[in-house]
Amino acid sequence: MAQIFPKWTNQVPRLILVGLIVTVNVVILGVWYFFSPEYTDVGYAPEQPVPYSHQIHVDKLGLDCQYCHTSVWDSKQANIPPTQTCMNCHNQIKTDSEKLAPIRESWETGKAVEWVRVHNLADYAYFNHAAHVNVGVGCESCHGRIDKMEVVYQAEPLSMSWCLDCHREPEKYLRPVEEVTTMGYEVEDQLTIGAELVRKNNVSPPQYCQGCHY
Amino acid sequence: MSELTQKTYWKSLNELAQNKEYEKFVEREFPENATELSDGFSRKGFLRVMGASIALAGFAACRRPVQKILPYSKQPEDIVPGIPLFYASAMPFQGNLTGLVVENHEGRPTKVEGNDLHPASGGNTNAYHQASILEMYDPDRSKYPVRNGAKSSTADFHSFVADYFADTNKRVAFISEANSSPTYNGLKEEALNRFDNAEWVTYEPFGEDNSIEGNNIAFGRRVRTHYNFTNADIIVSLDDDFLAPTHPNNVEYAKQVTSRRKVTSQQDTMNRIYSVENGFTITGSYADHRMRVKASEMADFANALAATLSSRISGLNSFSSVNNKFTGSEFITVLADDLASNSGRSAVSLGFDYAPEVHAVVAAINSALDNYGTAINLLQVPHFDNQNNKTAFANLVSSISDGNFDAVVMIGANPALTAPADLNFTQALSGADEVFHLSTYNDETAKTASWHVARSHYLEAWGDGYSFGGARAVIQPQIQPLHDSLSEIEFLGAITNAGKVSGYDMVRETFSSFYSRNFENRWLDILHDGIDVTNGFSTVNRSARNVSPAPSTAINEIEVVIKPDNSVYDGRFANLGWLQELPDPITKITWDNVALLSPATAESLGIGTEDYLGKAKQPVLNIAVNGTPIKLAAWVQPGHADDSITVHTGYGREGIGRVADVSSESSQLFDPETTSGGVNVYPIRTSSSMLFAQAGVSVTGEKYSIACVQDHHSLEGRDMYRQATLAKYKEKADYASFESIHKYAVPGMKEAAELGEDQPISLFNEQTAVEGEPQWGMAIDLNACFGCGVCIIACQSENNIPVIGKREVERGRELHWIRNDRYYMGDKENPQAVHQPVPCMHCELAPCEQVCPVAATTHSDDGMNQMTYNRCIGTRYCANNCPFKVRRFNFFNYPKEYLTSGEDPDIIQMAMNPEVTVRFRGVMEKCTYCVQRVNREKISAKIETGSPKPADGTVQTACQQACPADAIYFGDLTDENSEVTKMKRNERNYLMLEELNVRPRTSYIAKLTNPNPALVKETNEEYAH
Repeated sequence: MAQIFPKWTNQVPRLILVGLIVTVNVVILGVWYFFSPEYTDVGYAPEQPVPYSHQIHVDKLGLDCQYCHTSVWDSKQANIPPTQTCMNCHNQIKTDSEKLAPIRESWETGKAVEWVRVHNLADYAYFNHAAHVNVGVGCESCHGRIDKMEVVYQAEPLSMSWCLDCHREPEKYLRPVEEVTTMGYEVEDQLTIGAELVRKNNVSPPQYCQGCHY
Repeated sequence: MSELTQKTYWKSLNELAQNKEYEKFVEREFPENATELSDGFSRKGFLRVMGASIALAGFAACRRPVQKILPYSKQPEDIVPGIPLFYASAMPFQGNLTGLVVENHEGRPTKVEGNDLHPASGGNTNAYHQASILEMYDPDRSKYPVRNGAKSSTADFHSFVADYFADTNKRVAFISEANSSPTYNGLKEEALNRFDNAEWVTYEPFGEDNSIEGNNIAFGRRVRTHYNFTNADIIVSLDDDFLAPTHPNNVEYAKQVTSRRKVTSQQDTMNRIYSVENGFTITGSYADHRMRVKASEMADFANALAATLSSRISGLNSFSSVNNKFTGSEFITVLADDLASNSGRSAVSLGFDYAPEVHAVVAAINSALDNYGTAINLLQVPHFDNQNNKTAFANLVSSISDGNFDAVVMIGANPALTAPADLNFTQALSGADEVFHLSTYNDETAKTASWHVARSHYLEAWGDGYSFGGARAVIQPQIQPLHDSLSEIEFLGAITNAGKVSGYDMVRETFSSFYSRNFENRWLDILHDGIDVTNGFSTVNRSARNVSPAPSTAINEIEVVIKPDNSVYDGRFANLGWLQELPDPITKITWDNVALLSPATAESLGIGTEDYLGKAKQPVLNIAVNGTPIKLAAWVQPGHADDSITVHTGYGREGIGRVADVSSESSQLFDPETTSGGVNVYPIRTSSSMLFAQAGVSVTGEKYSIACVQDHHSLEGRDMYRQATLAKYKEKADYASFESIHKYAVPGMKEAAELGEDQPISLFNEQTAVEGEPQWGMAIDLNACFGCGVCIIACQSENNIPVIGKREVERGRELHWIRNDRYYMGDKENPQAVHQPVPCMHCELAPCEQVCPVAATTHSDDGMNQMTYNRCIGTRYCANNCPFKVRRFNFFNYPKEYLTSGEDPDIIQMAMNPEVTVRFRGVMEKCTYCVQRVNREKISAKIETGSPKPADGTVQTACQQACPADAIYFGDLTDENSEVTKMKRNERNYLMLEELNVRPRTSYIAKLTNPNPALVKETNEEYAH
């Protein structure tokens, strides 16, 4: 009796199996990477109502972070500055710039400028700026090289595992408190200096859930 | 449990009877049907709907949600985004202020706390204060003035009154609720001067009117009775529930009374409280001796007490000939002996609504006992009217009805609902051309008014006033009015000044008149401290003139007694879901009012135990007073006086709001199939029956379901509660220890001793306290707790706990993180009642943690049992394994229902605490020891001192901060000198279910009672559990 299936069909189950393994792995790896905040969130750079350039203000003009983000040492929030802060300079400089129209409007009407939030944590995660900067976590560590950003984008994934990287080994990231706002801070023996800072500031970052979730 | 030397504690008559329904109920972690979705669609159907929303959600989630940040344009000086500010203010209730401190997040008030500089608060609050924040954000509040049923505006109102009241010959009737504001009373003078033909009556449905009239009889002066229970060794309450929030000064009184029951060593003493009452009140449950007396026989009781005292002390001769059923009774003889031997150090008080003549008798007793000046003060209150307001009100209404007035101006009261039914108030109003009414809700009276004006909440407007004891303070607004509304002084100012003056200017002007110099600095201090002067009223020293016995009012048949409700009061708080869902301190009933009666009376009416025990629906009674009937569900209340029925006001509302209304239909959660909202009992309250009346009572045969939580989260007769008398404590300090109760050591202790350990051995890994971290713990003093329930509301406010509605409460799904268990002890006719607040115990070897499959509940370094909502998948294993039954499950997406539905969801969202996650459907939740407050203080301690251990007292949980009895202690157990550590060292400290070796961080300080030895019958009473 003639064979119904040619000989190559013997390979089909094997191929299906291999194909399945490959597909499953691709799916897993795909979800692993493409669904992670590292892929979805890093690089998020929404358009802002005013094309404010940190590069010009920080890098070229040398403004310190705290000139605008004043509450960072005291509050959980590092505030977005009130329109007033912009107007300190811009009532004299570039007073008729087209791009600054929303700022002037806000100043006159008292209505807020609607900035788009870039760094957005989930509602169930509590984050406190003051708790971090007061023990020497640099602005740069989470927000990246803001001084080089024409448009602010999210530089780090802000995922839980990323948080825990530092909460588990703070000595790798800490800097002296007076260097917090420094951009491009780098030392050769970070581990020794970091360990020293951990000891000096009595740093014990919580690794239990309700350090951040409540 | 035969080895226990126990008194029997029971939570309900069901439990006492141990019937089948009860056993079935407690065996299930969640009551029947609790897992099935109800209200019209089955679980399968629900999954279909869910399927669609999952699919949609899948696509929607591809887009990153865009959030906006809106900074200030010009940032106010003291505001730092993310740091709440605290401002002093004060809440008026029945015209008396309680000083408060309000938490304010970027101009949005979210939480109310007591002001410790203010004597009426002392740093604490009651449930009404806590719930007032919800009232401000209530989406059903009146939002704009209404002119003849059509929407209007305050601008229109101003121009109308300027024109209308320009004619000062207008005959104007003013009806005002009680108001102590000096600004307001100044305007009142102005109004009466401006309009020649004006009359003014202060009207409160419940209030101290009769007490003032009683003092007028006894002392010839209309003065206020103000107790100082700190100086009273013996307190006798004749149906005066001064510990309940319905009393205008309950926070101060609670602090005073409980301060004399803080026993820290065997050498300490306690006050002794006697309570004589018909229903079970909060004060009655806190008393050492309680006697059941019908309300209609209270006059006889007071006369008999005076008569019995007359042979022991001088000054009561006119009573010596009194002879009634109480004279010579053992209770009254012992009571009289106790009072006579404590003269000058005792206080007798009487419920406000009893007749003035009875108040005069009580005044005579106190005067003969020499209590005035020590335990009681008579206060000359400047804003009291020099008239009997009850009769003045009745006369005014009939005068309005006769057409003697052109205009009726009502400031804040709701007489269309609350006025005595025989006055026909609503009809009487048709005698006037214009009716002006200022109120918070578009209520019964507002609907009869030609001008209804929305009233600004006290958190929105400037005001001032005095506390019950005379402390003068300013009401400082926390936010601009949310709606187009006016405050009382702005409203009255518009009528009298015929011009628009701001509340701020008026209040400031009033206060500047108190100070001839340096006012500017003083004003800033007043606003900052929330208090101006602490004793604004002068005291009067008089002894009672010859008071004659009060006429007997005894009713031989069944009497019906009408009282204000602990939750909704006279109806003014009826639309506040927090209060509606707050279980009544004694009955544990939510969402409804009932007719309370004793088991014997129920029997005599033909209601057998088979009609109510274990039944979801209760028999309905027909109660008729002078031919006017009301129908109300019966509720058998152990300890109620026989032949007496107590009913509560404020329910059965229509057209007020989604929460208050009977049979509310606007939300899925409030199922229209089941009525909630209770019954209006005002129709049987007439001028002659303001407190009690003879009633014809019959059983109708109808049934009505009641959502009562007394059997929820029951612990099946284990030894949860422990108490002893003060005398026993002096014999045996550790009467509450496990060994004293059970007669054997804690299981596992012997083995542990062999191993040289100080905790019982355990199968599980010990939690090790992390070096340098604080270790949190709590102690609850059962001797201080009187069960008011403010802890529940404070927790609800702090932790964004949703209201779930009557149907869901019936299923046992209430979400309160702290519950207050009420146990009865003794026989069902006359038991003792005790209260036990139960939050999460934060066990060191927590059983919930051991069964969570996803590690959503684990232990923190600072010793808390933490609940991580974002990990929880809702298996509910943890709740099943919790021996204390303190875990709560979100069966629905409650926040979506009540935070995003309705016209103005933004408004109710503002009431949320931004520090606490709003939980989603399918998530377990429970008490967190207010971790947001703990972490806030830990972070600031770390920044300031470098150590994550805050100083003792800086972290206060919401329940602790609110508690007027200071019954809750919270702090760091690694600190040897913290208050909580000291409390836990007390011999009376015990752990709930210690034999389980779960090592709770929350412990209890066992209760003590101080009975009169002459009245204690069982001399060999053992230490109770």
